[in-house]
Amino acid sequence: MKRADFPFLGFGAGLRRPHYSYIVEHRPKIDWFEVVSENFMVAGGRAIEVLEEVRAHYPIVLHGVSMSLGSTDPLNRDYLNNLRELAKRFDPAWISDHLCWTGVGGRNLHDLLPLPYTEEALSHVVKRIRQVQDTLERPMLIENVSSYMAFADSTMPEWQFISEIAEQADCGILLDINNIFVSAFNHRFDPNEYLDAIPVERVGQYHLAGHSDHVTHLLDTHDHPVRDEVWTLYERAVRRFGAVSAIVEWDDNIPEFPVLIETADRARQIYDAVARNPSQQSLDANSPERSAKLPVPADHRA
Amino acid sequence: MPTRLKDLQSFLYRLITAPSGVGEGLAAERNLPRTGLGAIVLGDERLSAEERADIYANMYFYRLLDALKEDFPATLKVLGDDAFHNLATGYLLEYPPTEPSVAECGRFLSRYLREHDLHDRHQHDRAPGDDAPYLADLAGLERATVEVFQGPDADALSADAMRAIPAEQWPSLKLRLHPCVQVLDVEWHVADLLRAVEEGRDWQPAARGAAKILVSRQRTRVLYRELEQIEYRAIDVARTGATFANICELIAQDAGDLDEDAGALDPVAELNRLLARWLSDAIFTV
Repeated sequence: MKRADFPFLGFGAGLRRPHYSYIVEHRPKIDWFEVVSENFMVAGGRAIEVLEEVRAHYPIVLHGVSMSLGSTDPLNRDYLNNLRELAKRFDPAWISDHLCWTGVGGRNLHDLLPLPYTEEALSHVVKRIRQVQDTLERPMLIENVSSYMAFADSTMPEWQFISEIAEQADCGILLDINNIFVSAFNHRFDPNEYLDAIPVERVGQYHLAGHSDHVTHLLDTHDHPVRDEVWTLYERAVRRFGAVSAIVEWDDNIPEFPVLIETADRARQIYDAVARNPSQQSLDANSPERSAKLPVPADHRA
Repeated sequence: MPTRLKDLQSFLYRLITAPSGVGEGLAAERNLPRTGLGAIVLGDERLSAEERADIYANMYFYRLLDALKEDFPATLKVLGDDAFHNLATGYLLEYPPTEPSVAECGRFLSRYLREHDLHDRHQHDRAPGDDAPYLADLAGLERATVEVFQGPDADALSADAMRAIPAEQWPSLKLRLHPCVQVLDVEWHVADLLRAVEEGRDWQPAARGAAKILVSRQRTRVLYRELEQIEYRAIDVARTGATFANICELIAQDAGDLDEDAGALDPVAELNRLLARWLSDAIFTV
């Protein structure tokens, strides 16, 4: 894997059904789209028509939710073949999925479940990512998930687990900044320590999204604007990882598309400001906490 | 000794999908360590291990419930929220999702409703469809609209495409049903109910009566309607690879036979009417 396998596409958005008509009719000014692979693994119809139109005017990447890299079930060969065919047809800049398991015993939970951070899980996932990359004939990115459970058997922190996997499987990392923040609160770790441990050359993409606060825990609901603390963490990531493509995800309470453009533009402004002033500590002009330290999740409710 | 990954995943799957929550799932576990779930999942003063697993259990059920509500709006309307919730609970126990796309989670809802209607009559018990025996047909139609919406693409035979074919070739022209088209065999007139719900109008319970419902797609718009007998026979013949001449012959014969009380139909008018509709609705391809 080379950093060039995941070229800098700029600042984009997740392609979602409520925005199909707007995007097709207005061709909004946004750099690129991330597409949920499974939504387009269909024979035809509206989704395919829209994707053809979008692809004709924007770069896209395919982002899956059901590869189930961490499952102990065999890899789903039909799924991988469908994904390969989809990639041949739409020529995405890259393909990504999550570092998680989504089902077992032939059943699908349609959720992104965390793995125990053990040597057994690590070698299991590494082997499967290699198989996937061989099938897809390209390197892939793996994304850190938000989690609400941690396991007694874990022998290493999440950032070490994902970094080791990326190194051993020779794949890239899709850093979901909101997921780091959510998991940091839920499991009481320092999100800065997470970012600082990720190998720079492995990071190929960012996700930015909102979450909901349930007092005892944060939920990765993608139904709110990106929180200021997440923007602050994003700025830190930009300083560390440099020119990395970013998208905004919004999956519930989805606003009009221009709100996503504004959010992507805010990510661009932060990136531009960091590029201009790499030594300045905090440059997010829109953030009321621009000079505040990053929150430590353990103190969040203090 | 760490829990094997396979065992851990199977264990969590059982907990997350237990119909009454993680507590019930834990009670059914025989090999749980004496220290309970906390020996496997870390809890703290904010959330116990069980509460953390419950977050996943709730997300599992409500994500699928939302997906089912989206794909079965008329079934939901007829049953109401509570009964639909109970239907989803029972359905997901018998037909848990197996496909990568969450959109496939409702694939067997109609079958489930049909099976349970029969089952519960034997048990003299109440089932979700007891007050609405047409629910299996209704859910079947709703599912068909989902499948047709994302069904295969093909160039439909339009009026312009027909005009471009030299007239001397028409008799031997083989009309094939568009690959996304479905014809449903139902026992209740459910199409009007679904249309009323989709259009936000008051709906009436479906009346009993055998019917064939054609579900098709005009570009990206899904259409559905009951087929007249003459049209169903023509479409049925087209499925077997009949020529345009065969279909014309069948319509001419049926128009003469069908309505003896009211007098024979005009075969030319019938052919003209049906062909215009088929070309407009994108039923056929060649």
